[in-house]
Amino acid sequence: MAREIYAYKCRLCDTMHYPFRMVCKNCKQNDFFEFDTVPLPRDGKLLTFTRVYNLPPQYEVPTLGLGIVELENGMRMLGQLDIDEPKAGMAVKGSVEVVREETYDDFYGMVFRSA
Amino acid sequence: MRDVYVAGIGITTFTRLEFALSEIASYASMMALKDAGITEVDQVYVANMGAPRVNHQTALASAVVDSLSLTPAGAAAIENGPASGGSAIKAGFQAVASGMDDVVLVVGVERMREVNGLEATDFIATLTHPIAEYIYGVTLPAHAAMFTRLYMDKYGVTERHLAMVGVKNQNAALNNEWAHLQQEISLEGILDSPEAMTNNPYVAEPLRFFDACPVSDGGAAIILVSEEKAKELGRPMIKISGVGQATDTHAVHEREEPTDLLAVRKAAADAFEMAGLTPDDVDVAELHDAFTILEIAESEEVGFFPKGEGHLALERGDTALGGKIPINVGGGLKGRGHPVGATGVAQAWEIVTQLRGDGGDRQVEDASVGFTCNFGGFGNNVVCLTFEKEA
Repeated sequence: MAREIYAYKCRLCDTMHYPFRMVCKNCKQNDFFEFDTVPLPRDGKLLTFTRVYNLPPQYEVPTLGLGIVELENGMRMLGQLDIDEPKAGMAVKGSVEVVREETYDDFYGMVFRSA
Repeated sequence: MRDVYVAGIGITTFTRLEFALSEIASYASMMALKDAGITEVDQVYVANMGAPRVNHQTALASAVVDSLSLTPAGAAAIENGPASGGSAIKAGFQAVASGMDDVVLVVGVERMREVNGLEATDFIATLTHPIAEYIYGVTLPAHAAMFTRLYMDKYGVTERHLAMVGVKNQNAALNNEWAHLQQEISLEGILDSPEAMTNNPYVAEPLRFFDACPVSDGGAAIILVSEEKAKELGRPMIKISGVGQATDTHAVHEREEPTDLLAVRKAAADAFEMAGLTPDDVDVAELHDAFTILEIAESEEVGFFPKGEGHLALERGDTALGGKIPINVGGGLKGRGHPVGATGVAQAWEIVTQLRGDGGDRQVEDASVGFTCNFGGFGNNVVCLTFEKEA
């Protein structure tokens, strides 16, 4: 099964959240985990970005691209960028891949490339 | 609610310190106790972010209160990220204002140079959202960089404006003997000359080395007392007249307008409202310039300048010593250094120094109203305070 990153839709008022939160930020009534999971879209446009040179010790790469993407449904998320020359507003497409490796764990997240 | 006064202040040099964490806290505290002329307190609050993780020490307040021979006073540590200092002052304020305590020692401390720079960066990064931010390798410089790019696109802030903040604050630190950075810099050296790009490489594009505060060890302390106690001690009457704290979304991408720092706006507005002051009343301010862009953005959000015009005020010299509203005249985080848990208390230390007229070469003339903004997370937890000198 393909890996997905999920948004959380409140069953009481349909508000979408990413990341997960325990109480709906809109209706504030949802205090019993009544959320449906909806896969986040992969297509979006790049809002802002950076290339980081001083990375935490777990990263064995010289630099890392990061950005905030506005997805096609209007939600936003942060992800890694595999783009040589990113530009604000460019179309990007995400793929769920390993974004951090630790001794006994691999962490999956969204990596964006030019669409 | 009772009025709350600052009766004593103390600070250590901000640099790499080869002392135990509780000793650094104790040095600053001893200075503050001596300044106030007291040897007993009712309560100790220790502001610190990294002791368990960086220094392998828990229950720090118990160590500090005993080291100072202040037992059996109450003692507790307050961990609230980079806003730990402001949060501990707020707790101390509440203790005195409520009438529960008459004398409270608030000390902020951090010893981050015990680990290397990359580990220190990772330690700070653990304040980000664990699933939506941290796992991607996001660091605080990365957050600040993405915020800066939006600010540049929207408001016309340039790398030159950022460098101007860095030059202003790092050179201001030359007038502060306790400050970490004691090296004069110039726009020529970090921006304009052919060597500038070597001197000042990118940390997270578009932020460069001199846009970020240094990683520092250090401690700062203040003594909060009731009005009656303040009069008895006979130190200059510096009142904490306004306290505001506000929060924002943990994950930065969830904010409706990503260039807004709503927690700064609300914390400042609440502090001013409580004090019955407006931003125009402020004579001297300490803003949380962990990155140069933050001084510009905060100077707008707290109400000194209209949104999007902080960099224009900087160009006019409004924020320099002698300007309309001098900001970070003791170097700010950029020049003084940023021992994370100590910073909010160090900001109060600088403001009290100014309101007492003890600023020396960095004294703001006739300063009687001061303001601090202690910025935690990437803007998700902010404490603002106003200080007033009484005749």
